[in-house]
Amino acid sequence: MAISRKCVPFTPFDRELSKSTIAIVTAGGVHLKDQEPFNIADDLGDLGYRIIPPEVDPSQLMVTHHHYDHTDADSDINVVFPIEVLRDLEAEGFIGGIAKKHVGYMGYTMQLKAMYEGTAPEIANEIDKGSRADAVILTGG
Amino acid sequence: MKGIPTVLITVSPEVSAQMRPPRALYPKGFKIGNSLGRPNMRDLQKKVLRDALSLLTRNTRPGETVTIEYPEYGEQHEPPRVKKLGT
Repeated sequence: MAISRKCVPFTPFDRELSKSTIAIVTAGGVHLKDQEPFNIADDLGDLGYRIIPPEVDPSQLMVTHHHYDHTDADSDINVVFPIEVLRDLEAEGFIGGIAKKHVGYMGYTMQLKAMYEGTAPEIANEIDKGSRADAVILTGG
Repeated sequence: MKGIPTVLITVSPEVSAQMRPPRALYPKGFKIGNSLGRPNMRDLQKKVLRDALSLLTRNTRPGETVTIEYPEYGEQHEPPRVKKLGT
């Protein structure tokens, strides 16, 4: 389904947060250390994305992104990928649960059309079909 | 596809507004790379994430970016501006 270039693609949220499952999608270049890093050698950027499981140990995450200073994320990944913060909010009952899939991609590309028409719907499909998320929190770098 | 509700935490509100995010929080003065705050400031990170998620249940105007100040963040940073063509 093509998204209009003019309108705001607003999806209403009609649930209670305390009964809702949340997924994280970050453009901050976050991925598991044993996943292939994003390709920062290509001036056009990297159109790929990586699936991150909910039970991930934050020490197994890293950032590959050359268009922002990720020194802070290197010391605490939660500043761009708040997985432990979500766990805290789940423990205190603010949210109902944590989704089965989260996504990291590198939010730098010179291939906007391919990102818009290829990568973005693929990520949405991963979340829609496989994560059981009721809502998504998006972060950049 | 039925659509998935999203909320964006942006530290570049003028830049991200160009993509018309349906709901967005700008934690005022946070620098790029600090979407949730500074490292290991878990209470601040929780506050930002709670505020962001709460936008899902508030009657926000589609496309609106809500700005919230968090004094405990400390030093403020100017967000990047969108370059205007022809100026």
